[in-house]
Amino acid sequence: MRLIKRTYIYTSVWLIPVLVIGSLFAFFIIEYITYEETDEFLTYEMERLVRYHEENNDLPDFHKVADIIPDLKLEQPVFKDTLLLESGDNEMVPHRELRFSINHNGHDFTIVIRHLLLGRDDIAQGTIFIITGLIFLIGIFLVLTLNIVAGRIWHPFYKTLNKITHHKIGSPPPDFDKTTIDEFSQLNSTLHSFLKKITDDFQHNKEFNENASHELQTHLAVIKANAGKLLGEGNKTAHLEELNKIYSAATKLSQIQKSLLLLSKINNREFNNNEKINFETILESSLKTFDEVAAIREIKISKETRPCTLLMDTGLAEILVNNLIKNAVKHNIQRGSISVKLTDKSLIIENSGQGFSGNPKLLLQRFSKGKNGNIGIGLAIVKEICEIYKFKLSYAISETNHHKIEINFQQG
Amino acid sequence: MKLLIVEDNAKLMETITETLESENFLCETSLYFQNAHEKIFLYNYDVFVVDINLPDGSGLELIKEMKTQNPSTGIIVISARNSLDNKIEGLDLGADDYITKPFDMAELVARIKALLRRRNFSGNSKVTVNGISIDTASREVFAGEQKIELTKSEYDILLFFFSNPGRTLTKESIAEHIWGDNMDLADSFDFIYSHIKNLRKKINAAGINTPVKAVYGIGYKLDSNPTE
Repeated sequence: MRLIKRTYIYTSVWLIPVLVIGSLFAFFIIEYITYEETDEFLTYEMERLVRYHEENNDLPDFHKVADIIPDLKLEQPVFKDTLLLESGDNEMVPHRELRFSINHNGHDFTIVIRHLLLGRDDIAQGTIFIITGLIFLIGIFLVLTLNIVAGRIWHPFYKTLNKITHHKIGSPPPDFDKTTIDEFSQLNSTLHSFLKKITDDFQHNKEFNENASHELQTHLAVIKANAGKLLGEGNKTAHLEELNKIYSAATKLSQIQKSLLLLSKINNREFNNNEKINFETILESSLKTFDEVAAIREIKISKETRPCTLLMDTGLAEILVNNLIKNAVKHNIQRGSISVKLTDKSLIIENSGQGFSGNPKLLLQRFSKGKNGNIGIGLAIVKEICEIYKFKLSYAISETNHHKIEINFQQG
Repeated sequence: MKLLIVEDNAKLMETITETLESENFLCETSLYFQNAHEKIFLYNYDVFVVDINLPDGSGLELIKEMKTQNPSTGIIVISARNSLDNKIEGLDLGADDYITKPFDMAELVARIKALLRRRNFSGNSKVTVNGISIDTASREVFAGEQKIELTKSEYDILLFFFSNPGRTLTKESIAEHIWGDNMDLADSFDFIYSHIKNLRKKINAAGINTPVKAVYGIGYKLDSNPTE
């Protein structure tokens, strides 16, 4: 969810209690003021009547007297709420009344004066009008402010975000724009130092790989070339068997080093030339590479492929497929079978093979030992590539020694 | 045939030169970039074998130089890097072939001969040993007039032998030659055995005593001068 949308939602949620409390508050304040005002009015009227009566011993022509009860004396004036039937619209309407007593010609009279009150419904209605207006204003204000805030304050953040999403591992760290906001400038400098470290590590790792590879392979080449030369001389040389061991070991060593180097390069994300590739074609050509070898073992290959386009480095895709097919051929049995199924969502390779007593997951680790002591690094490479592209990889061996490897291309 | 070989490791250079000279190639060598650079300016070569990693420069520069000085020279890049980038860069600059360390001498010889055939320096795309001839242009094999049908791997193996007559080819080098990086098949030697068995059968069926001999425990060898 976008930052601005989140902000709107949070702000709106926090506004709800404010509005509820605000409405109640407004309601009671209005009600209180109404009472105050009405009481004040009635008190003035009472004072006017009392004063007029004292001066003229009569009531004025215009007054608010609603009732006069003879022979009743109240020590103190009393306020009271009352409901009266309004004959016009046949409805009970709240009134405030004030009762007070005066003495007229030696007789006590209690005078009742009334004044119309604001109904609670009227107050509620008013409150709703006020609050609705306020919400409307606050809403406009919020949208404007948040947009300006998001646009101005978060601008450097979005720029940074844009730069790091487009950053490619191995390329020099991007220069972030200067910002006056402390947090963002801290973020930028931290990111910069992280990216610099990553770039340096990447470069060091790459150089180390290259140097180690060059030195090692060159000297291995010397060993192989000389051992090979002596082997080529055939019967003239003594210790042929020992020579052959040296030669084989040097060959094997160089292969292991190449595989490890490849794994290290994949790990170091040196293959990141992602493009849209036709996975089906790569699979077909890999199957062709191995079909002669499969034929020697009389392995039946059945395939069912559908077009599959993936965003991936071509080199890595080839390595992935080659390793899988090679694995299926290598660990197969005489007159075995291989079935390859490719859809746009997954690749499933099933093959008959030898039994494996341990956990198939171990096969995906580097240097897990096979039956004849050879090291399996091919599947470790497969695993590594799957991890890079977030493909789901699973390996299962059934009781009938059927191996099934499945790669789910759907990321996540 | 005149070759220029640039390789920074003296020991490896020595072995390469000895092997190539035994194939009757004329070899000039250089351990350094500067020295090689001068030679490219001064002389003409048929094939240029160059290592990319040199102590005082990059072999890629030398390829560029060779391409401008003498474009007809065939170029084979040697590299230990085995990285796809370098491979593509070398080939983009105009190198004809690419070989990664450590390589077998037999492989290097086969590559140089293949390059020479492709460039038609020897004027002939046909290789003949013991009455068997390979037409490398059409990828066809004949025993006298009779055509022998071979699979792709069998053809590759036979041509590899023909490029290295008399030299013992180890099982490893044959495996690497036909499968390249896919060679670590645990039982690739069984496959080679099967391939060679089939190859011999086909040659024998064509009425020719097969010149491919097994060298016990090590590999195979093409006998160029059969005793019988």
